[in-house]
Order: sequence, then structure tokens, then C-alpha cells
Amino acid sequence: MAREKKLARKTIRTFVREGAAILLILTIALVWVIILSLLLSKTPAKTLGYFFLGPLQNTYYFGNMLNGSIPLIFGGLGVSLAMRSGNFNLGGEGQIYSGALVTTLCAISLAPLGIVGAFLALVLGALVAGALAGVSGFLRMQWNTSELITSFLLSNAVVLVVNHLISGPFLDPSTSLMATRKIPEAFRLPLLLPPSNLSMALPIAILAVVVVQLYLYKTKSGYELRMTGLNPFFAKYGGIDTRRYMVLPMVLSGALYGLGGGLAIYGTYYASIKEFSSGMGWNGLAVALIAKSKPTAVIPAALFFAYIEAGARSAMLHSDVTFEIAAIVQSIVFFLISSEVLLNLFTKRGKQ
Amino acid sequence: MELAVEMLAITKTYPENNIRANEAVDLQLRKGEILCLAGENGAGKTTLMKVLYGMESQDSGTISIHGRKESITSPLVAKGLGIGMVHQHFMLVEEFTVAQNVLLGIEPVRFGISYDQKKANALVNEVIARHHFSLEAGTLVKDLTVGQKQQVEIVKMLYRDADILILDEPTAVLTEQEIEALFTTLRQLANHGKSLILITHKLHEIKAISDRVAVMRQGRMVGIYETTRMDERNISALMMGKTISLEIAHAEKPQKSLPVIVFDKVTVVRRGQERPLLNNLSFTAYSGEILGFAGVGGNGLGVVEAVLGGFIPTVGGRILHHESEITNMNTAQLRKQGLAYVPSDRLRIGSAAKATVEENIMVNASHMFTRQGFIDKKKSASFTERLLASYKAKATAQMPINTLSGGNIQKVILAREIEQYQDYIVFSEPTWGLDVASSQFVYEQMAELRDKGAAVILISSNLDEILTVADRIIVLYHGYRVASFAGKEARNLSKEEIGEYMLGIRRQGTLHG
Repeated sequence: MAREKKLARKTIRTFVREGAAILLILTIALVWVIILSLLLSKTPAKTLGYFFLGPLQNTYYFGNMLNGSIPLIFGGLGVSLAMRSGNFNLGGEGQIYSGALVTTLCAISLAPLGIVGAFLALVLGALVAGALAGVSGFLRMQWNTSELITSFLLSNAVVLVVNHLISGPFLDPSTSLMATRKIPEAFRLPLLLPPSNLSMALPIAILAVVVVQLYLYKTKSGYELRMTGLNPFFAKYGGIDTRRYMVLPMVLSGALYGLGGGLAIYGTYYASIKEFSSGMGWNGLAVALIAKSKPTAVIPAALFFAYIEAGARSAMLHSDVTFEIAAIVQSIVFFLISSEVLLNLFTKRGKQ
Repeated sequence: MELAVEMLAITKTYPENNIRANEAVDLQLRKGEILCLAGENGAGKTTLMKVLYGMESQDSGTISIHGRKESITSPLVAKGLGIGMVHQHFMLVEEFTVAQNVLLGIEPVRFGISYDQKKANALVNEVIARHHFSLEAGTLVKDLTVGQKQQVEIVKMLYRDADILILDEPTAVLTEQEIEALFTTLRQLANHGKSLILITHKLHEIKAISDRVAVMRQGRMVGIYETTRMDERNISALMMGKTISLEIAHAEKPQKSLPVIVFDKVTVVRRGQERPLLNNLSFTAYSGEILGFAGVGGNGLGVVEAVLGGFIPTVGGRILHHESEITNMNTAQLRKQGLAYVPSDRLRIGSAAKATVEENIMVNASHMFTRQGFIDKKKSASFTERLLASYKAKATAQMPINTLSGGNIQKVILAREIEQYQDYIVFSEPTWGLDVASSQFVYEQMAELRDKGAAVILISSNLDEILTVADRIIVLYHGYRVASFAGKEARNLSKEEIGEYMLGIRRQGTLHG
């Protein structure tokens, strides 16, 4: 018992220490927002007000901010899962985009099936995106090619293919938008905070976090995946089929991205619009890095990213700064966290 | 007597696990002496030296270097004070030359920018010559033997004018010949006025090299003694707190010997290399005996381990487990066949450093706790606790395994493998870096397995170990089986005799059995 108490105390201590480090990093990032506003804005006070409070000022902005975090949660989860197994999935852009397109097209043609059709369309979108990422895993298993490179290259090509499909064969001629036809009304997810865009996709995203967390820590497959990521030699020695964990985590990772894309269609866009998901894949990667590949940490990391973006958008609309301020702040946070310098300040000099 | 180092009342607690690694430890190092720092695993030797070298900061206590109080806050400060350390795991860039490694960070520069290779090699060759090392400044480090790599580490210190040298278990990876050469070097250095501290727990080495021996036990300094006044038995007694002897009973007569593992003319070749790593190796491991493989590093011991463990493919021959062929199966398949295996590389292969003890223990047994894909945490936790208790490992299930001492990590691995063994088990270098008590524990486990009827295969470059434990001995040289000894012959074998086979000076005519 005493031992468990000690362990619990230790866990709390690390938790507090990590919390303090994150807080410091956020403070530094926010100080930079202030500095940038003072430098770039003629009305810094107004800019800052809109930046920090804009996303919170009414349900419309607040809901949109939460909605913006949904694809980030899926992307962050996808990347985390791959990284936990020692794989790098850089193909999020193509996976999310192709998943969205496949879901859209399937949803349109499966409309008569009702809810079953909606579910099937989502699964098919996730499967296609998962297969896309799985190709990179398979290539690595067979010929030891770097999945980091192949997933990136493949994704770039797929983005172009999807662009072509949206603006060519599947273009909806009845609108002036570069977009496919819309999915059936019945497939659209209910809104949670009208008039904002926030939809039922948010609880689904949170459910996905829980599922991934359970998978990693409670199942045999998740255990084997983590061991392969921690030390592949050890995993192989212990009798784990490490070849499987070159492919499976990539497939799951791609599928999560694809699911994120499909739900963005069901909840927000209702049609595949050209380039609608541009940047979501990369932001998902950043979220996973900030979350240190911990599924539960993906939610706050995604919320933070979404908050910064919403703040910058609000400041851009109501004041005189450009949207790039968001990218600057995000990259500062990204650098500080992934460099680990500040994180280590709070963990004492340990054994080397 | 002039003191090079004086450490007074050093106390150090690791906050992560609340372990008091050093408690009010005093240590005096005289100028020009060789001091052995001895103690069991986890006695606090390495921690004390890390404090001296600035890698850890002490909670309290003072350090004086050449009579002056110093605050050593980092290895950089330590180097500035003339302190150098050779770690157990070498810190060398394999792709660099000897000279580049020695001069890393202080390279001679031409025209203000370019690396002056000629000058670098000359500078380093000069140091090498002065101390009679068998090195050449222009060689790539990856082409050196382990013993030579260690010499590079020592040259690195000497080049930086270190006069207080710390060596952490310097002989752990060396052959008998290399150890002899190292000791000659160390003796010369001491004669030149350098002061040396060797961390070790090999008793005969303490006797062979040291002027004085400092013994630590459970974080405290037991005392510092003139080596000439001590014998191996009473040093061991001080380390343990009790006297023990490193002996196990040999199998009198194998009860019923069945062939368990059969190698039939197994050949292993590395791609692009002409000389086979293993050449037509045939042997049979029987139940109820410990079969020992002896050899100098690089002569095939590691290859036998890798083949048995399913890590490298064979190009010729067959391997049988009982009657069924297991040639070129991967590790997962071999595990299903009953492979249990304690690897020589405990950190890279035998464990996942950042995973918990429990996660490390269940790697070959996770199916036992799995129901419909989910792991029953209660079951796996109680399984882990039971193993930790019965192997007396000082650890809890949820600690990351890299917070354990080397001996305790090995206990976790032993527990895991012995628990899963079915009829054969491979031990490769099972006592590397372990203290006497832990080694004895390992030997007892092996003997117990043997007595229960297991076929135990012991692969070891430690001659004492082979001679102590093995019932039958096979000697490998250049990938060939050059000698084998069984029964009485094996028991009465002298170190010198087996050494001649290991070095290729002699080989037996008939190589069957």
C-alpha cells in the first residue's frame, strides 16, 4: 500500500511538473502574441482583445472554434498511433482529403440505405484512407523503404488526383463552387450550438480518443504496438510479429485521418469542396507532436491550436493584422514543445 | 601523502525513486595510485563516480581536488580540473577516425576553417606512441576491436591532460589478453603520476591491479584497504556482508539424456564477406546438462546466439528441435517451439528501457492474460509481483525498467525467460557486469533448470564461468568448432589449456560428439 501511495505521489509530481512546463510555454507564446500585436498593429489593444476574447465572445465563434478542433483531434490521434509504433505518417493531407471524397461519393450513392448507408460511407472513406497509408507500411515491411518519405509522396499525388476528381468527373455543375454534389440531408449531423457549425462530430471525436486510449493500453495488440515502438529489437526477441506492426498502425492512422475527413463532410461541409482540407493533415501532425503522442493529450492540444486560429481569424476580421499571426504563434509553441528544452528545465537533472 | 581526490560525506538521493544511492560516503584517492572501487550492483559505486565527474550533483558533502575545494557542476568542469572518465558504454563516433574522435571539439584547424588531418594524426600518434598503445590515428573506429576502442577512450582523456582517470568496469567486454594489456597500460600511467579509480567487482582483477581497494555496500563506504593485506575471500565478504563461494554442483550423471537441440553442419555467412561466421558447426544439446560455448569475442559465440535466437539466417545445414526442423524460423516461431533465451545485450534486445517492469515481463507471456484481445491487468500485475518476489528483484511492477540496477534488470529477464521455458534455454553472457551475489544467483538458476531436465546452452566469453558451470564445453575459433570437452575432462580443464584452443594455438583432431 505504502508503495502504491509513493507511486501515486510520484505520478502527481511529474504531472505538476509537466503542467508547469506547458504553462510556461503557453505564456511565452502568448507574450509573443502581445509583442507581435504591438509591432504590427496600429491598435494593439483592440487586436489583442479580439485575439484572446474573440473566440469566446459568443456561441457562434465559440462553437466554430470547437468545430475547428475536430479534424485536428482525428489527425492528432492518427499520427500519435503511428508514432507509438515507431512509424511516421506524413500523408495526412492526402488521407483526410481522399477519405472525405470517398465518403461524400458513397453517401450520395448509398442515400437509399438511410443510416446504414451513412455509416457504410464513413467506413469506406476510412478504409480507403487507411489503405493509402497502409501502402507505405507494406512497402516498409517488404523492402524497408522509409514510410516517412513514401507516405508524404503518395499523399501529394493523391491530393492532385482528388483535385481532379472534384473539379472534373464529380463536379456539381449546379453551383459555382469547385465542389461535388451535396450529401443527402438525412446524413448531415445535427448541430449542437446553432448558429455555429459545431456538430455531433465532436462527441464522436472524443469517443475516438477513448477508443484509441483503450486500444493502446488495454488490449494485447495495443501493448504489442507500443513495445514495437519502444524497442523493435526487444519486440521481435519477445516473439511479437513486428512486421504486422509496420502495417497495422499505418492503416489505423490513415483510417483515423479518413474518418476525420468524412465527419468534416457530414458535420460541416456537406460536399467535397476543392482544397477544403488543405493544412488539416499537417496541423494534425503538429497536434500529435505537442501531445507527445498521448491520446488523452490530443484533445487539449487540438483545442489550443483551434483557439489560436480562431483568435487570429477574429483579430483579422475586426482589426488590422493578418491571419499569419496564428501560424507564427503555433510554430513558436511547436518549437518550444518539440525541442523539449523547457520541458526538461522542470525535470531535475537525472541519470544520464 | 598527497591526495588527488578527497570526497567527504557525499550523500545523493535520486528523487525519481527515492533511492539513497550514497550516504555520507568518504573517499580518498592518493596521487599515483590505482584504487579499485568495489561493491555489488546497486552499492552506489557508479553514482559516486558520476558525482565526482559532475554528471550528478550531490545533496551534501564536499569534494577537494589536489587539496582545493571544488564545486563540480558538470563534466566540463571536471575535465577542466583534469578528471577524465571512461564509461562502460563507449562514447565514440564509429564513422570517425581515431584522431577525429580524440580531437572532437578541439580539432586543429588550417586557414581558420578546414580540419587539418595531417596535424591531427601527428598529434594523436604522438600520444599513442608515448603510452605504447597499439593504435593508428588514421583508422576508422568501427574497424577497431573492443579493446582498441577502449584505448581510444583512454587516449582521449590523456590528450586532454587528465591526471585523475575514472574507468567504469573497464574489463567487462575485454578478452583475457586485452585485459592484460590494459593492466600494463594502467600500471604505466600510475607510474607516470596519474591517479586512477577503477570500478569493478571482479575479485581477481582487484588483486592483480590495485594498490588499494575501496569497498561499498548499500550506499555506504565500508572501508578502504591496502590490497596486499586482503585476499579475494575477505574482499568478497566485505562486499556481501557474508562469505560465499562461487560454486555449483556439476551434474553427477545426467538422469536420462535426450537430444533436444541438434545443429547439423550449420554454416552462416555474412553477405559480402568471404570467411563464414560459422563453419559446418555440428553439436547436440542434451536434456539435463549445461552445454558451454567458449571462445574469444568475434569467433562465433555471438553468431551461435543469434542463430539460436532466430535473428540471423543460416545458409547451410539443419537445426532440429527434437525431431522437428526449426532451421531459419524467426524468433516468434521459435518461441512457440519452446525457445527461452537470456540475451547478451540486455538493454538493446532483452528489455525496452522506457517500458515498465510489468510490460517487460509479459512480452513472451501476454497471451496468458489476454481474453478476447483485452489484457487482464489484475492477472498480469499479480503475475509480475509473484515473479519479482520469487527472484528477489528490487523493483515494483510499474517502475520503468531503466530505473533498475543492472543486476535487477537481469533478474527480471531471468524470471521472464525461466518462467516460460519448456525444454531448452539459452543463456548468453548471463553475468556480464553483475556482482558476485547476482552471478551466484544466475548460476543456481541454471543448475536448477539443468536438474529439472532442461537442455541449458551457455554462451560465454568468461572462462571462469564456463569452467565453473558447464558440464560439457565446446570451443569456437574463427567460426569452427576446434575442441570439445566432456565429463571429467571438462572438470579438470585448466584455464591455460582451454585458452590455447580459444586462441587457435591448438585444435583437436576429431571434431565429433
